[in-house]
Amino acid sequence: MSLRHELRTLLRGALRPPENDSAFLLDVHRRAVPQERMARYDDSYPVDLVIVGAGAGGGTLAQRLARRGWKVVVLDAGPFWDPDRDWVSDEAGAHKLYWTEERITGGEDPVELGKNNSGRGVGGSMVHYAGYCPRFHPSDFEVCTRDGVGEDWPISYYDLKHHYERLELELPVAGEYWPWGDPHRYPHTAHPIAGGADAARGGARKLGIEMRVGPVGIANGSFGNRPHCIYRGFCLQGCKVNAKASPLVTHIPDAIEHGAEIRANCMVTHVELDESSGRVTGVRYLRDGHERFQRADAVAVAGYSIETPRLLLNSTSARFPHGLANQNDQVGRYVMVQGAPHIAGRFPEEMRMYKAPPPEISSEQFYETDERRGFARGFSIQTVGPLPIEHAQHVIGHGHWGRALREYMRDYNHWYTLGVLSELLPLPENRVTVAGGVTDQHGIPVARMDYSQCENDRKNIAFAKRTLHDIFEAAGAQDVLVTDRYAHLVGGCRMGSDPERSVVDADHRCWEVPNLFVADGSVMPTQGSANPALTIMALASRLAERLDLKRSSGGSESARQSRRSRRSRPVPMRAGGG
Amino acid sequence: MAGRDFREAAHLPNLRPGGEPASPEELPRQRNGVTPQMHGRYPDYNVLDEVDHWDEVTRRVVLERTENVPRIRFFSHGEAATLGAFCDVLLAQDREPKIPVLNMVDAKLFAGELDGFRFADMPDDRETWRRVAAGLDAAALQHGSIDFAGASQEIKEQVVEAFAEGTLHGQVWDELPPSRAWKVVTRGALGAFYSHPWAWNEIGFGGPAYPRGYARLGIGQRERWEGASAFETDPVKDTERRRVQGT
Repeated sequence: MSLRHELRTLLRGALRPPENDSAFLLDVHRRAVPQERMARYDDSYPVDLVIVGAGAGGGTLAQRLARRGWKVVVLDAGPFWDPDRDWVSDEAGAHKLYWTEERITGGEDPVELGKNNSGRGVGGSMVHYAGYCPRFHPSDFEVCTRDGVGEDWPISYYDLKHHYERLELELPVAGEYWPWGDPHRYPHTAHPIAGGADAARGGARKLGIEMRVGPVGIANGSFGNRPHCIYRGFCLQGCKVNAKASPLVTHIPDAIEHGAEIRANCMVTHVELDESSGRVTGVRYLRDGHERFQRADAVAVAGYSIETPRLLLNSTSARFPHGLANQNDQVGRYVMVQGAPHIAGRFPEEMRMYKAPPPEISSEQFYETDERRGFARGFSIQTVGPLPIEHAQHVIGHGHWGRALREYMRDYNHWYTLGVLSELLPLPENRVTVAGGVTDQHGIPVARMDYSQCENDRKNIAFAKRTLHDIFEAAGAQDVLVTDRYAHLVGGCRMGSDPERSVVDADHRCWEVPNLFVADGSVMPTQGSANPALTIMALASRLAERLDLKRSSGGSESARQSRRSRRSRPVPMRAGGG
Repeated sequence: MAGRDFREAAHLPNLRPGGEPASPEELPRQRNGVTPQMHGRYPDYNVLDEVDHWDEVTRRVVLERTENVPRIRFFSHGEAATLGAFCDVLLAQDREPKIPVLNMVDAKLFAGELDGFRFADMPDDRETWRRVAAGLDAAALQHGSIDFAGASQEIKEQVVEAFAEGTLHGQVWDELPPSRAWKVVTRGALGAFYSHPWAWNEIGFGGPAYPRGYARLGIGQRERWEGASAFETDPVKDTERRRVQGT
């Protein structure tokens, strides 16, 4: 073992992330993000950048650029959550964390939206994601070249690698040594796992399938002023502890400290275009029922794969009658979900799967193409810990209602559940459009999402389900229940190197509008079978680097001055002696 | 009445001839707190004994479900009768105490708390529930009953079975795809039933866990306050063992 490795092992969990004090800026005694010192910009003040959406993309971008002296305002349609006051340790009570405004879902294999994939409020859907933070594999960025499917990215894994490493320190991510993709270590040691995961891992091992603990965005131990995880299992209902990473606790506090304004409860309705110059001038938004306009030198949209295309499509003008940056009819296309069937297995012992965070162990052994399987690309295997309502939907999805349903549910404590994430391919007809004639409470046309699987998708999901079935059989499960579902959302404004076939370039800049950027998961041309959160953050982190580089080489004198004055801001007090 | 060994899975419908579940009447009666119909799979476990360990915000939300049953405001009297009977069959609530599922669904629909999507070939969830009520009555009529609520248990179960399998047809069902409608109404009904602490007692769920959390995560382990399953202790051996200790 090298000295470097020894040192890393010794320092595990003790390393502080560079250039991000979020965990230390939180209050020791309450969970809410301190906002007393937050900057407030006037609507008429032309900020350097206005960001739409304070989730994985918008939150990270704001923190990075605020650190570099940019004047940034982030608008979010939902509230600025106070975990103590707003969140409950209860499955049904988490309803308000989701985007619950009307959306229409169509196509041959329509996707259920809402709680499983759409967030609302500061922190975005990472507030209610499970916590898995895997990296994409190097192969994900060149699936067309390697496998003849999908599309190559205009960037490679190695453009994101150092952003992944930095974010893994910031969240921080805990897990065992990761042998798949680009092999790497995690800054925090793996968490203990519960009985069910132990049994499933044993079953997988008998079949020669390797499952590893992690990677999860939950500190192992306290982290700054974020307390230790208490293994209560309510990760999907919003972490009241502040142990699970979301931009709300990992990036927003530092963004505020460096002068960003997070303006909650502001629904952006229109990105405004100056017809003569072809540049955007700011955004129109609704706050307390009144329409307002925030001026900005540039706009970054980070509303996720449905709201981002919806906003662009609704932002029509004489120059862009079919939606902003949509001359080539690419906005809203190639939207993707992952096939995410759950398989539950019944064991003689009680497993009580409601305990411990749902993300425990995973395997990426089936991630890349294996021609013997008869389809391109692959899937990953992960644990999930459905609470009673979700498990009941699982049981009824298998055809059991009435007394059979009740009997299965009385048996809840004996069950354990695994899920897969199958990489489904990007298809042009899988798209977000605005529904003619149907409007939301503000009178804005709602989004419609159409989704259909292709043959490769069906084969992938079927194979993945058989694999899980085999794992449970090998683990000694007495009965098995299978349910089909989807998870995650990416694509819809993909990046590319051909303006005719993509919406943004490799630097997230819209081909058709020079100061309009897309900064969320909708830029992804393909999705791999990894959970997208960490990659969305890494993309935003890279975008910040690119934007600042361009600006410091070609920016105006006043911009440079404003950055310098921002840098002279006093260094924040660091609580906790960290 | 013989006890069951829950290490074996012989009570589960998939493993029984004909797919019929074991009778819940073989379980003991709930001894501590309430379960729906008082079936006692965890007869001495009452999650509401733990309320002092829950954070205040969660406690208010959960206790509201047991203390304040909202009155029906969204559905009409007739719709409520039909859908109430449907929820009873769907969730096998054949006697008191019952979790007031329809009242909870009604409150959500009345407040306009929807789930964030609707299928392109479906109306709004609120309209779907209303049409399901009409469709269930029409289906009962096809079986010779005047309406769903007044039908025999056998007819009700036949109608629900057809609904579950997506084979209802005629009138309402020609414009409302039954398999999609099934998803909408079961999502609402299950969300209400399994959010109720009485259902948590029945299934042995630990309930809210903030700020206490869990420490015993391993196979077969439980916190000292979590409930033991019925028949976990063989009464004969237990008595013998205790006598030995007592002398």
